[in-house]
Amino acid sequence: MIVRVLDPTHELKAAGVKSAARLSSLEGKTVGFISNGKEGTKSYFAQLERMLREDFGVANVIWRTKSNYSAPADAHILDEARRWHAVVTGVGD
Amino acid sequence: MQGSNRPTLSSKTYDADDFVAVQELFHSNGWTDGLPIVPPTEAAVEACLEWALMPPDQLIGIEPVREQPITAEKLAVNAVMAGCLPMHFPIVATAWQAMMQEEFLLHGVTSSTGGCAILIIINGPVRIEIGANATFNALGNSDRATSVIGRAIRLTLINLMDVRPGGIDRTTLGHPGKFSYCLAEDEEGTNWQPLSIVRGIPDGLSAVTVMAALAPRQIMNEWTTDPKEILETFAAEMRANQRHYSIYGGNYAVVIPKQLRDHIEAAGWTKRDIAEFLYERARIRRKEWADVGKAAIVRDRPEKIHTALESPDHLLVVAAGGPAGGFGAVIPPWMGSKTKAVTAAIGACVDCEPPKR
Repeated sequence: MIVRVLDPTHELKAAGVKSAARLSSLEGKTVGFISNGKEGTKSYFAQLERMLREDFGVANVIWRTKSNYSAPADAHILDEARRWHAVVTGVGD
Repeated sequence: MQGSNRPTLSSKTYDADDFVAVQELFHSNGWTDGLPIVPPTEAAVEACLEWALMPPDQLIGIEPVREQPITAEKLAVNAVMAGCLPMHFPIVATAWQAMMQEEFLLHGVTSSTGGCAILIIINGPVRIEIGANATFNALGNSDRATSVIGRAIRLTLINLMDVRPGGIDRTTLGHPGKFSYCLAEDEEGTNWQPLSIVRGIPDGLSAVTVMAALAPRQIMNEWTTDPKEILETFAAEMRANQRHYSIYGGNYAVVIPKQLRDHIEAAGWTKRDIAEFLYERARIRRKEWADVGKAAIVRDRPEKIHTALESPDHLLVVAAGGPAGGFGAVIPPWMGSKTKAVTAAIGACVDCEPPKR
């Protein structure tokens, strides 16, 4: 006997997000790091800053840390991020 | 539901040859927790929705971080899979309303390496209606109702929020409560106020409390009748959690079965008295971290006192467990106060948000 069953997954997708336009070059740009605050992010972002400055000519690197590592970034960080050319986030534990 | 006005289910359908084929379909798509499921047929899903008087497209809520809409139909599909009967479904739906409150931080709770489960505590008349057993084996396989309701929460997380191991769920270890973690309070076996009333739900209403919870840690003290001595054992377990896991304060639950509860009640202690005692006794100095290998993070604050509870209000005291045995359980929070337990009434407000806490 055929059993007809229903799909259990979300078929109503979340609105989603659109990626920002890619930069053609990092030369002279300002790059922000949004850390989740965990210990492992420090050495990772330190090395990344060296690479961005020395290998890619990034002018400024700004470090910010979320107040809650399991929640989205704080509003004031997101406001500040609008002035950056690029952001690195979502890494580190 | 009968007649031509029956709301139409919108989920995609699949035809499987038989029961075994249904199992393989669901397992192979990553739609299960690894255990067999009940086939979610249209009739079974419609029965859940009819019981709850919810149309299929009723929006239960929108998960605040990933903005994922959660509808009654999709919750019902997963509840049926978990083994829920229609009468269990309103509890699942209410638990989801509570979980989607911002202070619960559902995304963090379900994605963290910390690996907590969502503990569901049921209060009120609905416990009787569904046959929940709040006594023997209360934190284990105590009864059908709590087993399937707890499992429904996990299946809905898997299928509606993509909380799969290695996907959104980045848990390092987890614990068995991630299959099902649900209990009812033994309101008939205590003179204490039910947890729901303590947390502001009017008397007579059924309610669900959700808490991001680690595994229960069992304690034993059957050598005293003094409430302070009994509760000192609970406090010691809370301090141990502060030392070994997380020093930061949050919602703890303590489950107190009948034998110890009778001693505490006989001495005239209320849940509030318990909470105030444990607030005072469950605290450590930061330098104690050095005793358990964590000297590196004591830093310049060795004498700073950390309380397990930010205030007595943060303790969830639950009367549950079998009649004999000097046991109890401490259920620690996932991670301090980053998440807050939320309590919501069942069916008391169909189209509105549960009360803010």
